[in-house]
Amino acid sequence: MRLFDAELLHGREILPGQWLQGYRAPWLATGAAPGQFVHVRTPDWSGLVLRRPFSLNTIDRITGEVTIHFRVTGKGTDLLARMHPGDSVGMLGPLGRGFEIDPRSRHLLLIAGGLGMAGVRCLVDEAIATGRQVVVVFGAATAAEVYPSSLLPDEVEYVVATDDGSLGHHGRVTDLVTGYEAWADQAFACGPEPMLAALARLARGRDGRLGVARLGRKGGVRAAPLGSAQARRASWLQVSMEQTMGCAVGACLGCVVMGVEGPQRVCREGPVFAPDEIAWPESA
Amino acid sequence: MRRKRSVVTDRDTSALPRTPRARSKTPRPASAAVPRPASTPVTDPTPAVEVDLSVDLAPSRPGALVLRNPLLVASGTFGYGVEYGEVVDVDRLGAICCKGTTLKPRVGNPPPRVTETPAGMLNSIGLQNPGVEAVLEKYADQWVRWQVPVIVNVAGESVEDYVAVARKLDGQPGVAGIELNISCPNVGKGGLQFALDAGAAGEVTRAVRRATDLPLLVKLSPSAADVRAIATAIEDAGADAICAVNTLSGMAIDRHARKPFLGNTYGGLSGPALKPVALRVVYEVAQVVDIPIVAIGGVGSLEDVLDFLMAGACAVQVGTALFADPVLPVRLIDELDEWCATRGIASPREIVGAALPTRRDRPSVKGVEYRP
Repeated sequence: MRLFDAELLHGREILPGQWLQGYRAPWLATGAAPGQFVHVRTPDWSGLVLRRPFSLNTIDRITGEVTIHFRVTGKGTDLLARMHPGDSVGMLGPLGRGFEIDPRSRHLLLIAGGLGMAGVRCLVDEAIATGRQVVVVFGAATAAEVYPSSLLPDEVEYVVATDDGSLGHHGRVTDLVTGYEAWADQAFACGPEPMLAALARLARGRDGRLGVARLGRKGGVRAAPLGSAQARRASWLQVSMEQTMGCAVGACLGCVVMGVEGPQRVCREGPVFAPDEIAWPESA
Repeated sequence: MRRKRSVVTDRDTSALPRTPRARSKTPRPASAAVPRPASTPVTDPTPAVEVDLSVDLAPSRPGALVLRNPLLVASGTFGYGVEYGEVVDVDRLGAICCKGTTLKPRVGNPPPRVTETPAGMLNSIGLQNPGVEAVLEKYADQWVRWQVPVIVNVAGESVEDYVAVARKLDGQPGVAGIELNISCPNVGKGGLQFALDAGAAGEVTRAVRRATDLPLLVKLSPSAADVRAIATAIEDAGADAICAVNTLSGMAIDRHARKPFLGNTYGGLSGPALKPVALRVVYEVAQVVDIPIVAIGGVGSLEDVLDFLMAGACAVQVGTALFADPVLPVRLIDELDEWCATRGIASPREIVGAALPTRRDRPSVKGVEYRP
């Protein structure tokens, strides 16, 4: 974790209201892992008192460029979207705990709902670089909001579902997941909370049959403590959660989600959780 | 080039006059105030005034809570001091006020708990904490190793709760003082009830005072009808200092879902939006009490620090501004030091209360004086 200034290299609106920006942040690029996030400060004159947290979308360790993908939802994101190349913003990062990839897993299933693509996109590059196979399952409301396939590497199998059926599967992204359930060694999801809750219900109790469990364990079954890196690796599904955030270092306790063992800070214990750590709302 | 910084002195500041020292109308240039030591190179552009930033928050207990500088970090924004350790040099701070601590562990309020509002933010954490025993077990060792004093913010639902927590903190190594949180707007019981009534505020302060010899600070609420009565009651009950102010209750709406945004519906407003309110409370309280006042509320720049000092506060706490700039308090210490040095002011204590009305001021003729 470090405070630094990052220079905007390029930024463009890839989807209506959604921006993809590249920043020069060499230190962040060398130290960050997929799933971690960065806390971005808006300029002083903006009068905004909070930083804005963004998942690291891609990390280029060679050029030192990181990208963030966000939707303009208010004043802060609007100011960021209006920045020009060459402008600098203050950043704090890398923050949080990233995705835990089991060294044995060969097949990764990434499940993204809308802007949730920003949360799992980083894993695509990571997986390809380490010779793993990747399927990205993406859900959006309509064809106009589907993440462009041109922004994904060719090696990826990209499957799309839209709520209105205007592109790909007509229905929920969760419908598509069942088709890849047996194939995937590990699944990583990011998106709206109802989607994550549905996936959590789907994956509940299946850790023993799915994923790395069937690859065989050395030294028998050891129950790792809930929330440990080990336990998260053993879980078939990992979810990246979102919450309004204050300090992003674990001091203010503002960004909690309710877990089974009490409130969990998205910025410290998360943003990635195993689904059995979270107390999902019953009627989601 | 770094200037030599002031060091902690054991000097009893209670002996110093509370009213600002009469100074000539035009501030003398720094070089004229103190002759430049012979060893200083002539090319050094910084004036050779050694500024004493130290401030005593418990003058009746000499040496118990002498801070090296008047910049504290506010409760709830700095955790237990360890969270920001990677980016902030905590030992440079005047003191750390830790997250509100209760007798029993508290889960806190349902999320979402924070949201940004115009020139401020709302929080409704609801005093989530692992309980006083777990806090001491986890962090006291670290606090002992730091030079910076750690003031534990204490909250409770009843007088007995406050007293029990104070007893547990009393004599613990690493605990430099107690900040009595009687003004949290985000909890049902025990939140504001003590801060709105002078009798209750005095009662809880007196009870805690009897339970511990630790320096005792009491945190006021801006919601009180007349803060002066409450401040007086707290002073009479034996508090060493007064902190002003806690957050102001507010709310936000989630327009998309057509319901209150925060999980707790209500949240405490902090940040620059609160500063004028805090300034008014400090100004009013400073006129009725003799104990030191620690100002909190929207401090984000040197100007804010100076405003609060001139309104009668001895020290200030930085809270919400930390979220945007975690190293702000450390920078403010340097800026305050430089501001004093360039004006030949030997200590910020000289400007404390400079804006308070003097006896010579004639009574207002513009009708009834404003009463909040």
